[in-house]
Amino acid sequence: MRTRDWLGAAVLVGLFVVLPPLLHNQYFTGVFIVCAIDAIWAASWNFFSGLTGRENFGQALFIGGGAYTAAFLNGSFGLNPWWSIPGGIAVAVVLGLVVGFPTLRLKGPYFALATLASAAIMQQVAINLWQYTGGSEGIYGLDSLIDSSLGYYYFVLAVMVATVVVLSLIAHSRWGTILRAIKGDETACQAAGINVTVYKIASLALSAAFAGLGGVLFAHYQQAVTPNDFDVFLSISVIIMAYVGGIGSIWGAACGGILLNLMLELLRGMGEYRLWVYYLILMVVLFFMRSGVVAPLWRRLSGDRSA
Amino acid sequence: MSALLEVEGLTKRFSGVTAVKDVSFALAAGEITGVLGPNGAGKTTLFNLLTGFLPSDHGAARFEGRSVLGAAPHTIVNLGIARTFQLCRPFHGMTVRENVVVGCLAPRANVGAGLEQRVSDILEEVGLAHKAAQPVDILPYGDLRRLEIGRALATRPKLLLLDEPFAGLGAGEIEPLVQLIHRLHDTQGLTILIIEHKLREFMQLVSRVIAMDFGEIIAIGEPADIVRHPLVIESYIGKADHGLA
Amino acid sequence: MLTVLIYGAVTSAILAMLAVGFTLIFGVARILNLAHGAFYALGAYCAYSLTAIFKLPLIVAALVSVALVALFGVAMERVLVRPLRQSSLAVLMITLMVALTMEQALFVVFGSQSKNVPAFINHPVNLYGVSLDGQRLLALAIAVCLIGALWLFIQRTRLGSAILAISQDPEAAQYMGIPANRIFSLVMGLSAALAGAAGVIAGPFLSVRPTMDQTAMITAFSVVIVGGLGSIPGSILAALVIGYSQTFVAFYLNPEWTGTVSLVAILLTLVLRPSGLMGRAVGA
Repeated sequence: MRTRDWLGAAVLVGLFVVLPPLLHNQYFTGVFIVCAIDAIWAASWNFFSGLTGRENFGQALFIGGGAYTAAFLNGSFGLNPWWSIPGGIAVAVVLGLVVGFPTLRLKGPYFALATLASAAIMQQVAINLWQYTGGSEGIYGLDSLIDSSLGYYYFVLAVMVATVVVLSLIAHSRWGTILRAIKGDETACQAAGINVTVYKIASLALSAAFAGLGGVLFAHYQQAVTPNDFDVFLSISVIIMAYVGGIGSIWGAACGGILLNLMLELLRGMGEYRLWVYYLILMVVLFFMRSGVVAPLWRRLSGDRSA
Repeated sequence: MSALLEVEGLTKRFSGVTAVKDVSFALAAGEITGVLGPNGAGKTTLFNLLTGFLPSDHGAARFEGRSVLGAAPHTIVNLGIARTFQLCRPFHGMTVRENVVVGCLAPRANVGAGLEQRVSDILEEVGLAHKAAQPVDILPYGDLRRLEIGRALATRPKLLLLDEPFAGLGAGEIEPLVQLIHRLHDTQGLTILIIEHKLREFMQLVSRVIAMDFGEIIAIGEPADIVRHPLVIESYIGKADHGLA
Repeated sequence: MLTVLIYGAVTSAILAMLAVGFTLIFGVARILNLAHGAFYALGAYCAYSLTAIFKLPLIVAALVSVALVALFGVAMERVLVRPLRQSSLAVLMITLMVALTMEQALFVVFGSQSKNVPAFINHPVNLYGVSLDGQRLLALAIAVCLIGALWLFIQRTRLGSAILAISQDPEAAQYMGIPANRIFSLVMGLSAALAGAAGVIAGPFLSVRPTMDQTAMITAFSVVIVGGLGSIPGSILAALVIGYSQTFVAFYLNPEWTGTVSLVAILLTLVLRPSGLMGRAVGA
């Protein structure tokens, strides 16, 4: 990373550290918490799908998996809410492995559909097995991890920064190079002696882990989980965030998550037109900026010649 | 000298068409051998069978005594067999340097901390050092061929399978590539198996030729004998879409 | 029992109409059109508006609706999809955005309540002693005719051959002078028209609400996957399989689980035989 990248990152993080207490409004702090969680989800998606080019249309499976684990551990079994974090991550990783094994050998659109179907099936299961999962109502009454709203925000912010740092480090490491080679030409990658399957599965599991972590944080923020946590709309939102941020850019995806959530909030004034305008804007953006907005824009503004 | 690669009765069928039929031959270490034959003779299918990209129906293939049939492509690479493709397959969206890096990340390459140096050496070897930072998507075809060879070399192979390395090259690009292949053979003791159509380049490189037609081996011998072999001549002239170069 | 047989046939027919259009555009242009469900919804809502608001006679409204949806499909392909064709993800995303925008637009304009699309045949029809909904039977008949007509068109006309050529090898087809772009637009129009027609004739007995595109999409997906992406006969076969499975589940088990049928079908197919019943080989 160049100096100006560090500076940019510092300014951004600084802004997010300073803004909420300045605004001194619990509602806005809540918005920022969701922004940070969206950022974690978008970054996790981009790590796998952005790098390997295999579009995962079911990230909500891992998100919901983490969320419902939190609900079971804390809500149903009454465990200390902090146990949700390792529990949620573990469950998400298992889901990643279970879904990854049979589906990762499928080409493009088939993989997308398989992941989409997996999340949708899990959603149906959550609704239909209402004795255990609370059905369409879900499970509520979860404890919060940190009682102070601002305190929780800083915790989630820290987790977000850690997520971006860890995933970026891996993306720029040899592991990341191999993932990009898989995107470039998977057959040639095998011919170069790389065990492509292991890398794909490991990367999906890692992506799932962070998505699940975000799910846990979200569950303890809402203090409830519902089948909507598995919804295809959530999966797609995550993809859009990563897309806007710039496919392949971890920090870009995180910014995309923050931006889109903020935009949705700002549009609240439009009442029932809100989502319509939101989608229209996104459509225009997607059409004119095909490699995304945030990361390419930053590269252009900061004069990166190699881009 | 025991053979590096032994192939016995290798057969592959594709719903009615026998692409490779009962192929048997052996490669001694350090040889440059050619595989000759018209389009559809089964040459690339043979490569795909030996490198794990296609499952075989029948037969055996042993590399240094170990069977390679049924193994995954990356496993075979890590045993010491590397290949290039008939149509170049670079990693799109990455630079020349990064393409070679991936080859160095194969377990067999055993690079560790010396990655930078090894990549530079390989790029130097194939004559692409000055283009290391270029994205492969703008590279001319001749350079893509060199790159693919470089990427294969990165995996430290003992046996290198080249699939029509001269296809698509202009007159000025062929000779340097011939020199490169010679050099690799001489300096690194590589055993090389080349599929080619263009006879002139063949003659310059190989010491032995395996001639194929309709999936079968029709002759094995020295280049000078093979070009005069009646069956080989028939396999070429008998087809309307091909002629001896 | 006969009721189940007929209902199953009707469901399969509607599914087939949705699936054939979807698989057609994929087979020809390699586009996974996520806005396909939106065409279906648009068809139903157009029929509703033209009859309820503009008071047009039903036949006219039906035909105009289908034409409008076809035009919309062609416009979408021309304006939004064609410039983005090099990136399959971009095409996926833009069609998705069209679907989402359309859904929201329908919410805003029509509200979230179910709408009433008038039926062609309002009274039940007596068949072999079983009283069946006339509109459903009509839907079955129309679906069979339309799909049959499409099939004949593709197999017997020059234009149809051009379409087949492009789906096998777009580049080679272009070298032969086949105008790929125009064919893409035509096929998209056909695909949209089929989906819109499904919305018009099924609207009377299936729910007409802004989110109808979602269920349509998922079920169309499942049929197309099970049948094999790009294969029309495959889609028809799969439509029968899934249509009847859903009907059986609804009648003999629990109507709640009908949605799961399509999802499970997708997953099973992708895991066991990704190319579907009649599709081409698939796998990384």
